[in-house]
Amino acid sequence: MGDGGNTAGAPQMASPAADRLGKALGRVRDEAGRELQALRARPDRLPAYDYFLDLLAGGVRPDALERRTGKPALNLLCIQAPLELAHAAGFLPFKIFSGSYAADAVGASGRLPALVCPMLRAVQGVVRLGGGEGRAGDGGNPFLRRPWVLPTTCDWIVKLPEMLRLGSPDLAPGLHWLELPHLKDAEPGRRRWLEEVFGFKAFLEDAAGVKIDRKRLAASMAVYGRAWAAFARLGERRRAGDVPFAWFLAVANSFFLDAPERWTEAVGALLDVLPRARGADAAAGRRAGRVFFAGSPVFFPNFKLPGLLEEAGLAVVGDDLCSSGRVIPPHGPDGVGAGTSEYELVAALAERYHQGCLCPTFADNDRRVHGIFGALDGGGGRRFDGVVFHVLKGCHPYDLESCALEAPVKAKGLKFLRVETDYAAEDARNLLTRLEAFRQTLG
Amino acid sequence: MKLSIGADLGSTAIKVVIHSGETPLWRGCAPTVPRQEEVVNRLVAEGLAAVGAVGADCELAATGYGKRLCASARRSVDEISANALGLFRLSGGRAGVAVNIGGQDSKAIRLSPDGRVADFRMNDKCAAGTGRFFEQAARILDTPLEDFARLGAASRREIDINSTCVVFAESEIVSLLATGVAKEDIVRGLCASVARRAAGLMGAGFASGDAGAVYLDGGPALNACLVAALADELGAEVRVLPAPQYTVAHGAAFSLLQ
Repeated sequence: MGDGGNTAGAPQMASPAADRLGKALGRVRDEAGRELQALRARPDRLPAYDYFLDLLAGGVRPDALERRTGKPALNLLCIQAPLELAHAAGFLPFKIFSGSYAADAVGASGRLPALVCPMLRAVQGVVRLGGGEGRAGDGGNPFLRRPWVLPTTCDWIVKLPEMLRLGSPDLAPGLHWLELPHLKDAEPGRRRWLEEVFGFKAFLEDAAGVKIDRKRLAASMAVYGRAWAAFARLGERRRAGDVPFAWFLAVANSFFLDAPERWTEAVGALLDVLPRARGADAAAGRRAGRVFFAGSPVFFPNFKLPGLLEEAGLAVVGDDLCSSGRVIPPHGPDGVGAGTSEYELVAALAERYHQGCLCPTFADNDRRVHGIFGALDGGGGRRFDGVVFHVLKGCHPYDLESCALEAPVKAKGLKFLRVETDYAAEDARNLLTRLEAFRQTLG
Repeated sequence: MKLSIGADLGSTAIKVVIHSGETPLWRGCAPTVPRQEEVVNRLVAEGLAAVGAVGADCELAATGYGKRLCASARRSVDEISANALGLFRLSGGRAGVAVNIGGQDSKAIRLSPDGRVADFRMNDKCAAGTGRFFEQAARILDTPLEDFARLGAASRREIDINSTCVVFAESEIVSLLATGVAKEDIVRGLCASVARRAAGLMGAGFASGDAGAVYLDGGPALNACLVAALADELGAEVRVLPAPQYTVAHGAAFSLLQ
């Protein structure tokens, strides 16, 4: 069993700076270990969850994925890069993330503005810890062994390479940018995105030395289609009250830590044994306030807010987080058949990612807002009592969006609570007060 | 009759009230120190002795940051709901909006017609503009908090104080004192600054005309200069209950009757 977090297998360090990082490494491990212990100690733990816990315990690192699967990892900073293309080229997409406060502190380390997204600060921390500060070149750092693919979603992602270079020039990864249009629904934007996806394909073919032909791509699309279908079924069970948010997050957060085929099998196995809320459990579920959780993503091991929601008697039965409910881009009917050409497959993929991306970074954000209201209204009947909107301090697109969403959500007769926080634990009591009061307003 | 006890375990003070049904009988407080339940038990014993009810049948509801430390509580209630309930009952149903400035947080609560929480705002983890800020200012000014109302009333001009930050207040107040600004004017400026922040927390429409009467509670509500500044900022009358620092504890006691 590993120690979790992003730090397993880090090199030995000796200098005072390295010693400092060594201590930080210990704190990152402890943080992950505590969260895993909390998950393992939950009374609703099932053996079928252990697979996902073991993935998280094995380390949120590309080398852990490579050791587990024997395939090269491709580092992604955002789920907007089509996963199927990377898979078809022989890579396993690995989304770099961290919810570690200790890593956040290492990433910040006095060089950055105060209001940088905590997640991207933590990513800088784990990259620094991954190789050891001052270590020349990228040979020893698993995060730098392969290029990073950066979709230009938020400003912090766009500036991430510069931030890394500020900290240490040796830590700058090789990059491939996927430039997203600011105007999503305009025709020039669609054309631009399609060009970018073809550029991504060419980059992957070059990096892997393989041609992504129709057969390879169709096979990879089928793999992710099955993953999405299994995950969608899990989402349905969550809406029925059968999957607590912490477990749903653990499953979603581990999506990039193994081959998608194995992860899909494990979700299927979980679905087979997941008990349905009945009798007293169902009554307890009904007593809990049913909320939709929107906004900034939540990443392991920072499950502070999910824990507080539960403590306050709020059940998250739906979310729109790119680290949770949206972690696998939706697979609708692409119109893909036996006669579909390679070009048509790539075009269908590009369109699906373009339309499916519900990130608030676009200037024309209506599709996202409609998507959230669709989720709130979907299925008929009253599925949610309210919306909890999470803003990671410094996450400006979601922060601004929270202001725009509040009035229309309330106009629908739903309660709305915005909570702004970061990875530190110090505001837990303050947040809990708000969540408990919010629970009372739900009746 | 069974007595209802409300205990508000706040960040700076622990407040305890004793009710007989709807009627408050006694109230008392002590500074927040470690082993908070012992403080609550001591206050309860003191209160029961004062009302001649030692050994009486009673039950306790706890609220505030330390509510989970009170193992003897039959009920635990969040302080926002307790604030709304306490204010609603004590105001005879007249309260529509509560502004509570506590030891380390501030809240604005809009009440529904039946006294429940309809909506609320609360500061995040920064303690700017809270009771802690006033405590820090009192220390720098070397003036007891109890004197702030008198000093503020004696002010001849309002000083613009930019910071409500507990940390940066010191340098700003020290600078003003160094340039010869009167203590009275600084106190008035401090109150105006906190009132602006509280009004900003509420945002437009939160305390609009049909929202009902606005009440300020929490310990800082004893400062008439702050009350006047908030009324000025909101452009509305701001009312204060007797002993406004106990409103939340009363709400906890009332919750036992629900």
